[in-house]
Amino acid sequence: MVSMTGLLWRSCRKGNHMWSTSGPRGVRRTAAALLAISALALAGCAGQGGTNAGGSDRKLTVWIMEGTNPDARPFFDELSTAFRTQTGATLDVQFVPWASAHDKFVTSIAGGTTPDVAEVGTTWTGEFGAAGALVDLAPRVQQAGLSDGLVKGLTEAGTVGTALYGMPWYAGVRSIVYRTDVFTEAGVTPPTTWDELVTAGQKIKAARPDLIPFPIAGDNEYGVYPFVWGAGGQIATQNGGAWTSALDSPQARQGIEFYADLALKHGLSTPAAATWKETDLRDAFTKGQAAMIISGSWTPKSILESAPELQGKVGAFPIPGPSGGLAGSFLGGSHLSIFEGSKNQDLAWQLVQLMSTGDFAAKWGAESSFFPGTTALLQQAAQSSDPLVAPFAKQMVEAGRSVPVTPLYGQVQGKKTIPAMMSAILNGTPVDQATSTAATEMNKIFAGGA
Amino acid sequence: MTGVVTTLRERTRPGRGAATAGPRPGRPRRSASRTARPWLLLAPALIVMGGLLLYPLLRVVLISLQDFGLRQLVSGRTSWVGFDNYAELLGDADLWRTVLPNTVVFAVVAVALTVVVGTLVALLLARLRPLTRGIVTTAIMVAWAVPAVTGTYVWIFLFTPGDGLAVQALDALGLTDAATANPFASRISFYGVATLNVVHHGFPFVALTVLAGLLTVPQEVTEAAIVDGAGAWRRFWSVTFPMLRPVFAVVTVLSTIWDFKVFTQIYLMPGGDGVNRGVLNLGTWSYVESFAQNRYGLGAAIAVLLTVLLLIITVGYLRLLFKEDEL
Repeated sequence: MVSMTGLLWRSCRKGNHMWSTSGPRGVRRTAAALLAISALALAGCAGQGGTNAGGSDRKLTVWIMEGTNPDARPFFDELSTAFRTQTGATLDVQFVPWASAHDKFVTSIAGGTTPDVAEVGTTWTGEFGAAGALVDLAPRVQQAGLSDGLVKGLTEAGTVGTALYGMPWYAGVRSIVYRTDVFTEAGVTPPTTWDELVTAGQKIKAARPDLIPFPIAGDNEYGVYPFVWGAGGQIATQNGGAWTSALDSPQARQGIEFYADLALKHGLSTPAAATWKETDLRDAFTKGQAAMIISGSWTPKSILESAPELQGKVGAFPIPGPSGGLAGSFLGGSHLSIFEGSKNQDLAWQLVQLMSTGDFAAKWGAESSFFPGTTALLQQAAQSSDPLVAPFAKQMVEAGRSVPVTPLYGQVQGKKTIPAMMSAILNGTPVDQATSTAATEMNKIFAGGA
Repeated sequence: MTGVVTTLRERTRPGRGAATAGPRPGRPRRSASRTARPWLLLAPALIVMGGLLLYPLLRVVLISLQDFGLRQLVSGRTSWVGFDNYAELLGDADLWRTVLPNTVVFAVVAVALTVVVGTLVALLLARLRPLTRGIVTTAIMVAWAVPAVTGTYVWIFLFTPGDGLAVQALDALGLTDAATANPFASRISFYGVATLNVVHHGFPFVALTVLAGLLTVPQEVTEAAIVDGAGAWRRFWSVTFPMLRPVFAVVTVLSTIWDFKVFTQIYLMPGGDGVNRGVLNLGTWSYVESFAQNRYGLGAAIAVLLTVLLLIITVGYLRLLFKEDEL
């Protein structure tokens, strides 16, 4: 044991003199062994770690979220080939599931094992950027002349102060997906106002009592926002750098009350939905139990894959405003970010540019049912005549909105303030009380982090 | 290995004599080496304990005294805030109104049920013939072998509002209305489902441990009790339980620790991840308050609080169970 650790000890630290010291050898040996073992255990012969290759062999580690593109491997094979032709460098693409991605980023930041380039969810970019883990891309974006051509909602989400921590890659919004056959049966057309939404729901309820006309999921904050924004309310307002919740404003309350009343007063939902998440909405629709759901542009594809019998029976319409027009809908998506720990930041920027502009960006959008992060490509996608693309594109271009752009809002989302409020309302808490509680909680977080 | 044993023997035998004789002159090197030897032998275990237990424990306490967020994690800079995290923690009304009552009541009920059900099953197993016992043991082992995540999803599935099997069954019995009932919405029914899940997952351990204890109770003692005219109830409390006191101490303390810090089974249930504020317990609350918001200092403070609580409860249990021996 002693001699073995001694060997390891020496192999790590060449030329130590511990063995030649005089005195009781046992004690010295014990001390040396202890030191050696703990040094090995804690540091693991420090200096050999790190995932980033040096400049010589030019290899980039890239983390991509799993599941956005149902079959992403061919895309990345093609990308790797193109990137090697362009720069001579190779790519090591690793897929990370969304659910564990945040933890993985945090631990890799703490342990210094970050990738060179990673896809980062828009609501996380500010958080990691403000913590000092991401490279400010603003100078590079400006130098490349890309500043004006990026989708505004996405650059907003990636900006902290004057720094841009993520290059817009793709985006999506939520609209309403519905069953065309049920609409025909009930004799309704896609609603364009909130009153029409209620009427449509009631007609569906009468014609098809076996269906849930429009389930209202409690744990789905992105379903609440359109009604807050639609009624003219705000989630929070900024005044001189300080944020204040606006959920308890009369407009926001009115919107939230209308949304909740779809379930509570008009009976268009089911009590079970009070604890549903967004994925439960999709599952209910896939099982043929729901007639309309709030859904992202990326969902219809997966619905049709798991329920081929719904082929030709699925349509979409933008979430309407109270008396016409469109309600705002959260514009979410992903950035491509470069980590401060990367030794090949210039090379990484070349990859980011290749992925987020031009053919590869358009191809990614088409394959994943998301929209590209540049305005030119987005407008091209908005011309689509596909009934499952056009309504989403319309919602995104005309009414895409951001949640409050501050890393503190990540904390609000982490605390699940909005889902807690909504599920409380659906379980019987009065709207005024629940919105006040949520606003207080939100303000506490805004104040605490400022 | 043989060498180690010889060394130990060498050290202990003359050691006793040497204690009275005082340090032997002329052999200082030998003596120092002897002082060092037990430490050397203990070193691997101490280093593993120190690295895996002591260091993290110390680190948690240190972090709980800091304002430690993602920025501090990235930069490595720390800012000491004294007991601010503890003040915030203990000053939070939710802790006293929701979190602690949920944690404590759930743990008390779940531990009691787990130990009672486990003991009853053990008593049943002890009476069975070997073949039948093997079959029943295998059956209960399945409940134990199922991972917590899988087990939880099975229970969620059974209690799915509307079409869950258990909800339908309760509806057929006229106890609920399947169309409107949502078992996950109210605190009582939420924890009812969670208790079923945790007890179902936890009783096999108690049953097998108690069974192992039961098999060591000498047949003569039980027979003597029967001759004395003791019934089954009396025999359990006067013979079996006192003899198996250490076994019950272990299963109760372990179950308490597990049920006190239950996280997975609560977090995965609908609303258990912080959406339904009424059902938060210490585990999920600390996660929502700290990790979901990157406030590791506060999270560490909650962890320290949980550890202290568990220590107090464990010491209390042990004192209660062994009180008679001490007297």
